[in-house]
Amino acid sequence: MSTKEEILSRYRRNMKVKGQYDMPDLDALNGIEYADAVSQFIAMSRTVGGEVVTLEPGADVNEVIRKAYPEAKVFASNVPGIAIAQRNPDTVESAQELNGTDVGIVQGDVGVAENGCIWVPQTMKERAVCFISEYLVILLSRNNIVSNMHQAYCRIRMTDYGYGCFISGPSKTADIAQALVMGAQAARGVTVILTD
Amino acid sequence: MSTLHSKAAQRFLETNKNARWHDDTFWVLRAKRDVMAHELDEWERLRDVACAIKRHTVTHLDRYLEQFVGNAERNGIHVHWAKDAEEFNQTVLSMLRKQGVKKMVKSKSMLTEECGMNPYLESHGIDVVETDLGERILQLMHKRPCHIVVPAVHITQEEVGHLFEEKLGSEKGNYDPTYLTYQARLSLRDEFMTAGAGMTGANFGVAETGDVVVCTNEGNADMSTSMPKLQIVAMGLEKIVPDYKSLAVFQRLLCRAATGQPTTSFTSHFRKARPGAEMHIILVDNGRTDIIGEPEHWETLKCIRCGSCMNTCPVYRRSGGYSYTYFIPGPIGINLGMLKDKVRYADNVSACTLCCSCDNVCPVKVNLSEQIYCWRQGLDSIGKADLVKKSMSLGMKYLFNHPQMYDTALKFAPITNHLPHVLMYNKLNGWGYGHEMPVFKKQPFHEIARNILKDEDKKGNI
Ligand code: SF4
Ligand code: SF4
Repeated sequence: MSTKEEILSRYRRNMKVKGQYDMPDLDALNGIEYADAVSQFIAMSRTVGGEVVTLEPGADVNEVIRKAYPEAKVFASNVPGIAIAQRNPDTVESAQELNGTDVGIVQGDVGVAENGCIWVPQTMKERAVCFISEYLVILLSRNNIVSNMHQAYCRIRMTDYGYGCFISGPSKTADIAQALVMGAQAARGVTVILTD
Repeated sequence: MSTLHSKAAQRFLETNKNARWHDDTFWVLRAKRDVMAHELDEWERLRDVACAIKRHTVTHLDRYLEQFVGNAERNGIHVHWAKDAEEFNQTVLSMLRKQGVKKMVKSKSMLTEECGMNPYLESHGIDVVETDLGERILQLMHKRPCHIVVPAVHITQEEVGHLFEEKLGSEKGNYDPTYLTYQARLSLRDEFMTAGAGMTGANFGVAETGDVVVCTNEGNADMSTSMPKLQIVAMGLEKIVPDYKSLAVFQRLLCRAATGQPTTSFTSHFRKARPGAEMHIILVDNGRTDIIGEPEHWETLKCIRCGSCMNTCPVYRRSGGYSYTYFIPGPIGINLGMLKDKVRYADNVSACTLCCSCDNVCPVKVNLSEQIYCWRQGLDSIGKADLVKKSMSLGMKYLFNHPQMYDTALKFAPITNHLPHVLMYNKLNGWGYGHEMPVFKKQPFHEIARNILKDEDKKGNI
């Protein structure tokens, strides 16, 4: 007998729980809804340590990024229209080559007002760009902001790469003396650029 | 006569000048959790639903496991099964050997702790690097976690400073948490860049899609798995949830209950291996298929390891994680320890006043205190019911015979103040002897929470 069969048959033998436990009706949950989900999203993004800027009509996103990170030298992105990127996560030989990136720029799909989460599906060969960069810029359309995670999980899509992440603000830790510090392992700061 | 827990608790209080800080720190986490809960009208409904989903899933686990594995395999993931710690450790080792891996980075996993994986791999020449900052600190100090979510909370910044001076060459006398965190970041970067494999635990496995979902604040699960050519996931059988709709419920509850944040910074979904890499999932039983056969205790399988029950527990807060003899402390640890070996870990069942606070914060409604009560009732049969426990259980019977008292935390917690004085302050109350009982405030919790947060805000702690 394989270990799998052994474990499953042991489970079936031992499963003597009385009573029938059915799946509850999750559609009846009614998660929190915000009258103005965009404002709530912006407020939450700041609460979790991120910055939010709006891309004004006619403005160049590259300029907005430069302005947000005036010291940055090395940019990495495969997002169309990001002309400042010298590195491309699609064409680097290995993920390690992305180390030393000052700012990574990625496209987010769905924003969540209740907690500042943004669904970032992998759309590049090396997803390391989302984590290894010192700072992360996430582009997000203001039309793709929902109130809560129930709605978000109904909307998110996986790409063929088979990886996606809800990112809410920068990497953080309070492991030393319970003091909140940004930038434990991944990005030390996150800027969300809201587009139309 | 006293138990190992009560002796250790007394040592903790006598020797640890941070005992008060320890108590306060966890109460702040508890208070922050309360603020989160009060912000959502649907909080209690979420808990009910989470409990119902888990009850359903763990009683139909074979079906969901097959579905999960089918989907994962279709996505090109290699799935392995391990019946116990030994088989798990061997599977990991042979995988690493096959690929010639000398160093593995890993994010936090209670399961690898449970299986004693690190010492096993190290004894076979593998360098295992913990990448969660708290876990890394403990690894460098050769200490074990004292909490499942904030494992190094008991270590002071000075201790971390000295450790990093010695191990990472950081500046002498610099104990600034930001500086120290940055030193760890630099050193871990090197480890991520050069490791041959990356391992994570799993917070959830989604049957409908085959996704493994990992929640971290540091992003270290993603750093650990975005560079190496080999990704290994260590996952307990009970981590399965049916679908994304269920996952949404747990995602909303987990971090709010754990640390009082609205979410972890990263909720990562792993469905396939990275281009050019391999992904393996090891599904571990190690006693879980026995727990489902325990009529009084099967609901521990619902636990999502949020640590909320520890943060609220007056005994945990005042005695520290190391005073329990099982590697998971606090209310859930008492129960999991008994399920692992009820003779070896029997001492821990005394570490409870049956105040029921744990039951009332648990996001999936594990009936923790009721289970502890059951274990105590059974101590006679394993020859462990010494005088202390017999005396305690008399007191507990008094409470349990008054069901209206045993109703909700809000109603119940103040009642602890009215317990027969003799039960609370005499030497027979093993853990209470040597220090004062926590006095439960009669103010509603959310008011207390708000006040604490205001104070902390002033101190700049939040
Ligand atoms: S019931 Fe026992 S284990 Fe639970 S919080 Fe109270 S003292 Fe702690
Ligand atoms: S028993 Fe409940 S409160 Fe305790 S760790 Fe598990 S899920 Fe969290």
